[in-house]
Amino acid sequence: MIEDILLALPLAIVVLGAIVLMLISHFPTVSLKKYNLIAVFFLVCAFILKLTQLDDSNHIYLFEPLFNKMFVIDTFSNLFDLLFLAGAIVTLLINTHYFQERDYYNGEFFSLLLFSVFGMMMLSHANELVTAFISLEIASISVYILVGYNKNSLKSSEAMLTYIVLGALSSTFFILGTALIYGVVGSTFIGDIYSFIQNNPTKEITMLIVALMFIMVTILFKIGAVPFHSWVIDVYQGAPYPITMFMAATFKIAVFAIFLRLYLIDFTHFYDIFSKILQVVAVVTLIGGSWLAISQNNLKRMLAGSSIVHAGYLLIALSSIGLGAEFAAPAIVFYLMSYFLSAVGAFGILSFIAAQRRRRATFDDFKGFSQERPYLAAMMTIFMLSLAGFPSTIGFLAKFYIFLSAIESGQIFLAGLGITVAFISIYYYFKLIALMYFYPTDEEPKKFPFGISSSVIFLMALLTIWGGVGTGWIPFLPGVDTLVETAKEAINSISVKPY
Amino acid sequence: MSTLLLLVVFLPFLSALVLGLTYLFDTHKRVNEKFYTILGVAVPILVTILSFVIVLDLMSHSSTTVVTAVAFNWLSIDSFHIDLAFVADPLSAVMISFITFIGTLIHIYAAAYMSSDQGFGKFFSYFNLFLGSMLLLVLASNPIIMFIGWELVGLVSYLLIGFYNKEYENVTAANKAFIVNRVGDFGFIIGLGILFVAMGDNGFTFADIKENIYAIDNHTLTLVGIFLFIGAMGKSAQIPLYVWLPDAMAGPTPVSALIHAATMVTAGVYMVARFSFLYNEIPQVGEFIAIIGVSSALFAAIIASYQSDIKKILAYSTMSQLGYMFVAVGLGAYSAGIFHVFTHAFFKALLFMGAGAVIIALHHEQNIFKMGSLKKALPLVYITMFIATLAISGIPPFAGFFSKDAILNHAFMSEHYTIWVLGVITAFLTAFYMFRMLFIVFVADMKNNHIEHKALSKALTYPLIVLAIGATFAGFLGANEAYGGSDLFKSFISLNDINYSISHSTEYMLGFVNVLVSLLGVTLAYKYFRTSPQEPLPNKRVRTLIINKFYVDELYDRLFVQNLRSLSNFFNKTVDEKLIDGFINNVVHLNLYVASKFTSLQNGKIQHYSIYLLSGVSMMSLLLIYILEVR
Repeated sequence: MIEDILLALPLAIVVLGAIVLMLISHFPTVSLKKYNLIAVFFLVCAFILKLTQLDDSNHIYLFEPLFNKMFVIDTFSNLFDLLFLAGAIVTLLINTHYFQERDYYNGEFFSLLLFSVFGMMMLSHANELVTAFISLEIASISVYILVGYNKNSLKSSEAMLTYIVLGALSSTFFILGTALIYGVVGSTFIGDIYSFIQNNPTKEITMLIVALMFIMVTILFKIGAVPFHSWVIDVYQGAPYPITMFMAATFKIAVFAIFLRLYLIDFTHFYDIFSKILQVVAVVTLIGGSWLAISQNNLKRMLAGSSIVHAGYLLIALSSIGLGAEFAAPAIVFYLMSYFLSAVGAFGILSFIAAQRRRRATFDDFKGFSQERPYLAAMMTIFMLSLAGFPSTIGFLAKFYIFLSAIESGQIFLAGLGITVAFISIYYYFKLIALMYFYPTDEEPKKFPFGISSSVIFLMALLTIWGGVGTGWIPFLPGVDTLVETAKEAINSISVKPY
Repeated sequence: MSTLLLLVVFLPFLSALVLGLTYLFDTHKRVNEKFYTILGVAVPILVTILSFVIVLDLMSHSSTTVVTAVAFNWLSIDSFHIDLAFVADPLSAVMISFITFIGTLIHIYAAAYMSSDQGFGKFFSYFNLFLGSMLLLVLASNPIIMFIGWELVGLVSYLLIGFYNKEYENVTAANKAFIVNRVGDFGFIIGLGILFVAMGDNGFTFADIKENIYAIDNHTLTLVGIFLFIGAMGKSAQIPLYVWLPDAMAGPTPVSALIHAATMVTAGVYMVARFSFLYNEIPQVGEFIAIIGVSSALFAAIIASYQSDIKKILAYSTMSQLGYMFVAVGLGAYSAGIFHVFTHAFFKALLFMGAGAVIIALHHEQNIFKMGSLKKALPLVYITMFIATLAISGIPPFAGFFSKDAILNHAFMSEHYTIWVLGVITAFLTAFYMFRMLFIVFVADMKNNHIEHKALSKALTYPLIVLAIGATFAGFLGANEAYGGSDLFKSFISLNDINYSISHSTEYMLGFVNVLVSLLGVTLAYKYFRTSPQEPLPNKRVRTLIINKFYVDELYDRLFVQNLRSLSNFFNKTVDEKLIDGFINNVVHLNLYVASKFTSLQNGKIQHYSIYLLSGVSMMSLLLIYILEVR
């Protein structure tokens, strides 16, 4: 029992932090900077605690007498918890500068963000579909509100409305799928479907397939796969920069946390069917996402479009899982980490600049940026290179593993398409680099703004490069191999089939 | 001894590095010229001493002793090793001794010639690098290391020819030298490649190749021999790859001296001698080499007879003398060939340095018809140049006579009478054009000679004296029995010569013929150019042809350069722009068009978005039904 409490403590700290922040938001004297610090403090506490638990907890059900097997604690969920916490910490730190320049933020903003993180952490631990749904909704509803947080902006409100309506619509499919599963199996625990089919091999299972497909629809909606992508660009653009960053990097990881668990356990018997569906979705997502990305003039919209393409790469790896690529699932985790680093960095720079007087939104606004802010331009270049999958950045390795798993599972066409799309992505990523470097500007060169935001961006840039070239040669510094190994361990921890 | 050998190669490279770095970082020109001079000249002197020590050491032992030195293992693949190793056998020892000796004299001369030049430090860095590269080439224990030296020599010659790179002509000349050399090098590396494959697992040092040469069939060897010789054609300026040599005169005169006397052009002859065991197996290729050699010799001599630029005359004379050397090595008289390389180094260095002194004295005037009666103004230069001219013309007892005589005798004895006749004609022409130059520059009374003379420093003139002594007496080292010598040179370097016994009377007869034709040439030159020579005008068809160097440059330009250029243009303008870019652009435009249509679906209306979502679900359902039914 004590052990269980200890394991649940990080979750508790986060939700406690959310409540504390909500309470103190009644006092108007507290400055935004303090809110930010308090939120980061709670998150860091939870992060450190979680870090100590990363290794020694292997597949334990939390409060089993009370909750049965609803919550599971394994390396997989712990790793994802760490990613969410890190994502939230980095998001808050990078936007320190941004918050100070905007007057519509207050304590509730941070409270909601922490609630959302709490929902995501629940999601990664959820071992039961209804729990998963509730967690997903906790996370989502917080994000819905955060998207529309700038009440004065029509765009922001419109984005929130779009997101809520479509999100609600998609969520119905999840609950519908859950209901169908309950109707067939008589249980909603993850793993029960697996054992149900194992025990009743002759039963008609079409209903189950339909149910799983509905659940998949919700997941595909959340990660913005074509044809469920329509919300992505509008919402990303309408949302405030910190929230766009949070959605693109952190929230997407959370969706994969539950989907990977589901897919690796419950979908096992239907891999041949769902691999085909995923292949088709991956193809249209890659192509559609690229089309969306190349036709955007606004940088935020371009990054939104490109995030669809990145979802497409992840779908390639997902379909490879079913076709026997051993390394596909760790590749997904690794890809998520790499995308997190580069996307947070890129959005971070955007939000950092957005805080300045002169807004930069379109590609053209970045003409000659390298002369004005050489260091930021250089870091932006690093992030663009990583997003495009250029060698010596972490993005290259991540793409490499994905394509490797695709080839290993015999999906040569998908691998080829992925590589082609990566070439196309050079167009919109390098366009920014070219504009930054090859055009003159009238602006005076500015000094590098030392501060929390810029330091964290710098750290992200370093990690992006380190992840691309880093090996274990330098002692005490984990190289890429360590990351990959961790991802593998995490996947192995859920592959332990229950019963 | 092996440490000394390593030093011989590495010292010039090291000093080149130090000089180069000093020059690079000395952006404010604070470092004195003296620093460059001292380091740049001291190293060649040191290397010369070391080389002499090595030669003396080898002389004191039996002829089969060699000094070897392994610097490090350069490449190691499985059981196959390539060491950066050096071998000093009599052949390479003789080569390095005169390369370093003459190289040193040229360095001293250059210190005076180049003084107060902007790129003084750079020049000496290149110079030392040139020397080092040549030593690497000569001492290499295997063909691959030799090839590195071979390429380095080509590179440095490019840098030095284009030393005054502000002028377009110099850059063109440097490019020409580099590109023509690349053509030869390409042949060289093909030859090495074939040889490498043929050798299999038997190692790839010269010693290994020599031991296993009998295992390789004759056809392969023929191929290897021809391709290696193509490399030699490029480096040693033989027909058809000679075109770079006259243009290479664009470099400063010490560079010409170094290229023509001590380094670079002799590399080809040396390489053939180094592979003598291989060429002995394929006498047919040897004959081919000899024919190329004698044609080059005659061809260059004809052109030289009508040139009016002092350096160009010397350039063509080098090509001509190189032709003799190839006749020798082609017909199996390797030691005679190397002996001619040896003697030639003395008098050719002397000629170039003398020419340089004249050019300096006349404020960079190179046209001999604008000189004249310099005898009184530059007596020392006149005397030394006169000795050198006698030597190159083959007048006994000067050095050139013995080496040239040995070659022509060999051609006669091996019953290659055509080659012999052509060689003798060339000897006649050589005497003619060399004395023509000498008379016009120093003796003839020119009407238009009003140029003031500049005083020459000692560093410019003293090396001339040393070389003049060499040009006079070096020949006796290789004088054979008939002339009272004992074939010292030949017995020391002990190459796999093909020997013919020859009676003394025949030898005297042949020697007499040589001297006679040379004297004939001298007389002819005396008759026409002693008093008031006229610059040859292109007023007759044949003369026009010769003055314009048989239009070979123009022919190459038409044949290769223009065709290549138009082919490049075709690829650039048509294939690249229209075909490849056109295709890509079309794909891009198509994609952008589709993308804009696809993006226009994003109209911001939630109702529409919901419809997309639901139709997505429907499509997925249809897909599912399809999959399930198929199953």
